[in-house]
Amino acid sequence: MEPLTRDSFPRAIVHIDGDAFFASCEQSRRPKLQGRPVVTGKERGIAASMSYEAKARGVTRGMRIADIRKVCPEAVILPSDYETYSLLSKRFFAIVRRYTPDVEEYSIDECFADLTGLRRPLKMNYFEIAARIKKELDAELGFTFSVGLAPNKVVAKIASKWQKPSGLTAIPGRELHRFLAKLPVEKVWGIGPNTTAFLAKHDIRTALEFARSEEPWVKKHLSKPFYQIWQELNGQYVFELVTGEHETYYTIQKVKTFTPASSDRAFVFAQLAKNIENACIKIRKHKLAAQRVVIFLRTQQFRDFGLEIELSGPTQFPNDILHAVAQAFEELFEPTAAYRATGVILSKLTEAYYGQLDLFGEAIRMQRLSNLYESVDTLREKYGKHTVFLGASFLAHQSAQHDGERGHVPERRQQLLPGETARKRLGIPMFMGEVT
Amino acid sequence: MPNSRELTAVVGFRSKNAASHLVTQLLDQGWLEQDAAGTLLPGPRFHTVPVLGTVTAGFPSPAEEELADTMSLDDFLITNREATYILKVNGESMIGAGILPGDLLLVERGAEPHDGDIVIAQVDREWTIKFLRKRGRRVFLEAANQDFKPIYPTEELQIAAVVRAVIRKYT
Repeated sequence: MEPLTRDSFPRAIVHIDGDAFFASCEQSRRPKLQGRPVVTGKERGIAASMSYEAKARGVTRGMRIADIRKVCPEAVILPSDYETYSLLSKRFFAIVRRYTPDVEEYSIDECFADLTGLRRPLKMNYFEIAARIKKELDAELGFTFSVGLAPNKVVAKIASKWQKPSGLTAIPGRELHRFLAKLPVEKVWGIGPNTTAFLAKHDIRTALEFARSEEPWVKKHLSKPFYQIWQELNGQYVFELVTGEHETYYTIQKVKTFTPASSDRAFVFAQLAKNIENACIKIRKHKLAAQRVVIFLRTQQFRDFGLEIELSGPTQFPNDILHAVAQAFEELFEPTAAYRATGVILSKLTEAYYGQLDLFGEAIRMQRLSNLYESVDTLREKYGKHTVFLGASFLAHQSAQHDGERGHVPERRQQLLPGETARKRLGIPMFMGEVT
Repeated sequence: MPNSRELTAVVGFRSKNAASHLVTQLLDQGWLEQDAAGTLLPGPRFHTVPVLGTVTAGFPSPAEEELADTMSLDDFLITNREATYILKVNGESMIGAGILPGDLLLVERGAEPHDGDIVIAQVDREWTIKFLRKRGRRVFLEAANQDFKPIYPTEELQIAAVVRAVIRKYT
């Protein structure tokens, strides 16, 4: 078979992915959990991350805790400890930065790094450098990472997924065609269901068939990002790394308990709305916008029911989020149950930016909301939180809340060291369990 | 150093006399020195001396310069930041080594454990803190408390981390 390119590593890009990151963080600091199915996300009622043992038993992301207990009764279900996950995520990137400053922190558990030009100073080939980074990550963080080495980001992503968990796969340009031949085109990063369907109409089913399509045809029928993916599948380096350490909140969450428990639909919804308003205050403070929302309701029996909603675009305003979650709330709310808490988690956070114009006046609407909330925030700064609030959360402002509960609070937060407070803890991850 | 004639050219004076006047001033103030042959040399003030603040009398205070080279307690206790974890001791097996229940340990993951190191090993799905002993090809764990027997691993011994520091905080 004719190779797509003869150049093996004109650039050397690695993609590194933490295997089952959150669940692995938990297993690595609790020997009791090693080799066992572990699921995180208890506090929201749905699985946020699951260990490979749990995946093997059929647990999937977003699955309800109640369903997990059915398919995998032996699963250990833990509340998320984002503080620890973020600490370990920072360490992950710091270890990669020992080798190169060109690191793109793609998400809490993945990064890209550019190793180009490091062979001579390190006296190692690219594969050896990638292997060394993996070895240090595995040893120092106590769980495994999957590493893909390739001439560009799109192919590096394919490489890191090639073997998981704990894989180390190199795809040199010369070998690229062999890998793409076995890969369905929808598995390529950035190619969604619509493009897959379109390509299928033209008998393009594997990534190799797509890569071998004629350049003018690709340019004519597909938009620029897909042309760029086509270029990268042919071994060229197109997508630059977005480097630099960014201080990122990976999720923002607000949970509030109220007593007595309530079966009043309007009251429970008002509680949720208030949490959404609070989460939005925080998100605006950090000049971020969210594209994914998880809402959950906790019953008096401490059972959590959650749903995940993908928004059509990133937002930082409660109006948008309330609109999007109203239907999910109806689905979750059982009139016969009594609820004691509601919560919201905003994720897929990006820097707030509404520059893009569109056909449906979305940009204008956003600008209006933005002006409105600028005033709301000014009032809040001057007169305190909730000086003005949405009508939807009115009922939640009528009575006092009660706060605090265990079981859904991460163990690290319950085991404070002398001098630590609920708000401030040592920035060093902790091994949990008995140390005798 | 340039001689007076060269200095005339460098500074751009018309007469050599003006240059010698400048040299005299520099000599007076200690920027330059002259040896027996009249050759100009750098004087005591020529090399920059950091100004450390005013001193009332006697020797200059070394305090501020020294401060630039101090380390934080973090730097003192932690060598490999990314690999360091904290954990709390629960048992009494290391009492003889001065490690008491409630003490906090700073441990380093992924470090090469040596004979005699205090290590965190994983035994029966629990963390355990013991001395690591290597006798020839045999490796075992030893407590610092006579009530605890040495642990001879039946399978491969899993060393999770090496203990680097013990912290005991009296509130």
